[in-house]
Amino acid sequence: MKYWPTRVVSILAGLGACFLISAAADASGNDYTKRLVVLAGVWVILSVSLNLINGITGQFSIGHAAFWQVGAYSAGIISVQHYANSGITGLPWLLLMMVAGAIFAALAGLVVGLPSLRLRGDYLAIVTLGFGEIIRIIVQNQKPLGEAYGMNVSPKFQFTWLVWLTAFAAIAICRNLLKSAHGLPFLAVREDEVAASAMGVNVTRVKVTAFLIGSALAGVAGALFAHYEGFISPQQFRMEQSFIILTMVVLGGTGSITGSVLAAAALFYLPEKLRDMGPVTGGQLMAGAFATVLAVYLVKRVIDHFHGTKKEAAIRHLGIVLGCMALSFVLSIVLNQVPVLANARYEAEKLRMVIFSGVLIILMLVRPQGLLGHAEFSWEWLKRVLGQRRSEAAQTS
Amino acid sequence: MLELNNATIKFGGLVAVNDVSFAVSKGDLFGLIGPNGAGKTTCFNLITGVYKPTSGSIKFKGRELSGTPSNKVAQLGIARTFQNIRLFRALSVLENVVVAAFLRHRVGLASAIADLPNSIRETQELKDQAMALLEVLHLDKVAHTRSCDLPYGMQRRLEIARAMATQPELLLLDEPAAGMNPQESDDLLRVVRQIRDQFNMTVLLIEHDMRFVMNLCEKIVVLDHGCEIAQGPPEAIRSNPKVIEAYLGEPV
Repeated sequence: MKYWPTRVVSILAGLGACFLISAAADASGNDYTKRLVVLAGVWVILSVSLNLINGITGQFSIGHAAFWQVGAYSAGIISVQHYANSGITGLPWLLLMMVAGAIFAALAGLVVGLPSLRLRGDYLAIVTLGFGEIIRIIVQNQKPLGEAYGMNVSPKFQFTWLVWLTAFAAIAICRNLLKSAHGLPFLAVREDEVAASAMGVNVTRVKVTAFLIGSALAGVAGALFAHYEGFISPQQFRMEQSFIILTMVVLGGTGSITGSVLAAAALFYLPEKLRDMGPVTGGQLMAGAFATVLAVYLVKRVIDHFHGTKKEAAIRHLGIVLGCMALSFVLSIVLNQVPVLANARYEAEKLRMVIFSGVLIILMLVRPQGLLGHAEFSWEWLKRVLGQRRSEAAQTS
Repeated sequence: MLELNNATIKFGGLVAVNDVSFAVSKGDLFGLIGPNGAGKTTCFNLITGVYKPTSGSIKFKGRELSGTPSNKVAQLGIARTFQNIRLFRALSVLENVVVAAFLRHRVGLASAIADLPNSIRETQELKDQAMALLEVLHLDKVAHTRSCDLPYGMQRRLEIARAMATQPELLLLDEPAAGMNPQESDDLLRVVRQIRDQFNMTVLLIEHDMRFVMNLCEKIVVLDHGCEIAQGPPEAIRSNPKVIEAYLGEPV
């Protein structure tokens, strides 16, 4: 395939997808749905950018929300103080603020990156965790930033398409990097720093580059978030948020861009769906947890011992899961006979962190490399899968 | 080409390498031998900038090396393999080699991120180079296998291929024949000669397989407890009483 036609078509397809998403969100006609679509895009940017630092370069950073916060607050305060007398309006101003958010977050990335990149593994994790808290507490004590009450950001800019365009850009940056030889030193640093260095890779430079790009993208997400919401407060950037981003990266498979995107969307929508669910009783909760653990254990056993064709294995897994669901139903009726359990009420949405950690524990037991491992979606892969289907169909007919 | 002058490194009270001097000239197949713990690998670490010598100097093509970081040393034209294999485990065989070949890249990061044609072209060139090297070392058939899935002998050869991909003038091999059977080590002998003759690289190697060293090397330095005890051609080393006492042992 020729270079330029492919390029133009893929860029147009990306733009088209952004406008489709935007149009679909608008068509829903309710602000709640629209906000969900936008926030999902923000989370995709965050998890893809952390994946670059954490999954691809292997630097265990758990303070990503801090970069997001720096982007949000720096863009927010500039807008509040200078928008009126700048003479620039609308989209160009927002683009400018995205750049500002990126620059300030990248500076923050540099500040935390340079001294701490000599550290490895757990030590780096502790430093980034501390850094995240420091940023939040500094912001919480600044009068102009509204202290703990938060800050109104005006004007509001609500471009759904722009958020998703940025998300696609973040994905494209990581994908292009990994596709070219330039991405390999990043992976080499993750695998073995000593060997990478002996092969001429400037390890410090690679790490700082990863931190700069990753934190700049998080900063852009922050600027978009601040201007979409119109209100930001330190409470929105708690440590918990850093862990949610990290969970997305780990769940999707560290290093896999596709995995980060899918896990970001899934983990963002899961709590929203839980919100719709009514409160559950203690009996139901216990039965559900028991059945889930049992199902996971059995599926794991089947995977370990079963060496049949894929189709049979899939049917068996499905059977186990359905069986466990039935068991859970019966068990919940039995457990609800106990008055204490029947009278306890749990809001599913408030159990979010419990469910997250449960999901992570299960994942670490069943599939330590994350849902996708290092695998990526690619057109070649799709072609291969479809090709197999076709050849199978041809054989059977 | 490479000159060590009274190179010494102390770790606290332990003198790991003591006053070692030798010179490798262009085109040499140079051996570094000695009993375990003699300081051979430490010598390699001094040359490649993993450690900085406490005193003495290390010169490469007249340029002082001590204190130069590893990646800079690689750029100057010295590449090494590791005694305890250190491949990029999750990367494919080809990718391992491309990482090393990437040392000579010219296209900037921005072009790579924008996926511009020059970046695509360069990536392809580096892959082709890497593939050519893999063919030399008979690894081309496993180019897309994950490197940690390779059998041991192949992993050792991949270490060599990866080091060669940085296009060094001086290649440091740390026990390349370790754990190989006689057949494999004979193959390796041919490969190392080919590296010198066809790729014009100078080779400095550490090895315990005496048959391998004596057959291959034209000059040998012997270390014991960090000190240099002998230097010379294989015949002289074989009959040197000090070396026999410290390392080779009496012929039975």
